[in-house]
Amino acid sequence: MTGRADPAETLAYVDDCLDPEARRDFEARLKADPELRRQVALFESQNRAIRAAFGAPPRGALDLGGVANGNGARRVGEATRPADGTPRPAGAARKRSAAKPPTARPGPAAPGPTARRLVGLFALAAAVLWLGLPSVGARPPAALVAAGVSAARALANLPVEFVAAEASGPRLALAPPLAPDLQLVGARLAPGSQAAATLYLYENARGERVALLVEPLDEVAPAAPQRSEIDGLSVVAWTGAGYGFVAAAANDADVAALVVAAGADGDSLADAGAQRR
Amino acid sequence: MSSVREWSDDAGALRRFGLALVRDDRFVFDDVAAGVLIDKLFRQASLTLVDCPDGDRHAARVRAFAQFVRLYRRHARRLAADEDGGWVETPPGGRSSGSAAVGVRSLPLELREALLLVVLAGFTHSEAAAALDLPLAVVVDRLGRARARLAAHMRTARDAAAAWPQSTHLRIVK
Repeated sequence: MTGRADPAETLAYVDDCLDPEARRDFEARLKADPELRRQVALFESQNRAIRAAFGAPPRGALDLGGVANGNGARRVGEATRPADGTPRPAGAARKRSAAKPPTARPGPAAPGPTARRLVGLFALAAAVLWLGLPSVGARPPAALVAAGVSAARALANLPVEFVAAEASGPRLALAPPLAPDLQLVGARLAPGSQAAATLYLYENARGERVALLVEPLDEVAPAAPQRSEIDGLSVVAWTGAGYGFVAAAANDADVAALVVAAGADGDSLADAGAQRR
Repeated sequence: MSSVREWSDDAGALRRFGLALVRDDRFVFDDVAAGVLIDKLFRQASLTLVDCPDGDRHAARVRAFAQFVRLYRRHARRLAADEDGGWVETPPGGRSSGSAAVGVRSLPLELREALLLVVLAGFTHSEAAAALDLPLAVVVDRLGRARARLAAHMRTARDAAAAWPQSTHLRIVK
């Protein structure tokens, strides 16, 4: 065995494109070839750096060995560096002065037992509120809810721009959620809270429209579905996976069915309270 | 039928890929401009797709990325033509940072799109070849060249950073 791998095979190994048998063969060669190991390590470090640079979730467990070893080596280097008074070259980093022994300073007095009890009670109350009341947790942005309601009111009853049932021509390739009792009619483009959004439109058995606004959002925290009633519409909004969702319809059952079909946790629907404008 | 969670994952991956692809420090210099362009291309990519069999999420995913790549290539060609520079592969000059993001941005488009499809979007080499409408061997060759250029970029940046304190002379002004 030469240990020299085909570059295409090395790339395929690093990018997880080899079948299990080829992968085992390659790993056997990898053990015997330090140059190949170096090449694979370089490519894998590139993969990690690119994923980290552009916000992709890392594949597999994080490898902290390199960081730990680097820190260890640096500490060893610092510890073994001579602390003599040799002149420092121009531009070199300034040496740290010798650490002075810590001097005792009169700090603020430690909290007494009463203060500690008060802090404990406050923390306990906050935890109970947080866990007991779902509506106290992360909420979908108010602007998202407003955009969803506005889009539902203005556009839900208009003809759709992209028809779901069209046999030919452009179709929605990224499938919207389908609820058992709701018929997907199609989709429209709609203004979202920050960017353009897609408004999926459904009809229930009575021919009433149900709207689902989906908007890409940057840096949004996941929020559980929050139910509210706005201008006679039953509205449920939630966020997750970089998107904001607002379902709106005249009755609660249609909205709840859509929320469940969309994969959100419909059981934990938090009532944000009726909001009348 | 794919759930909305899967749909969101795919759309999120497409968005991440798009942001990495279009921010080239040549036509698009900041994340705000990249976001505007992404919104435009993303909408087109997700709405102008041709029909695909129900439940074939995998094919839909490859097709969505392929559509996005095509739209961006067209956009970049138009910008390059407007600039009267033709299809320029030379990365922008200036002092470069050693970060992976800068290294990727300095790659020519054809290398960048192959590398990002595989590393960032998680495509296999065959899927990337399908999305880019290229033979597999060409994609593998581009991946190899992209990785070599990226390694060279990061090595150069690291060497420059190491040499920087020695090459800087501060003048003492009394």
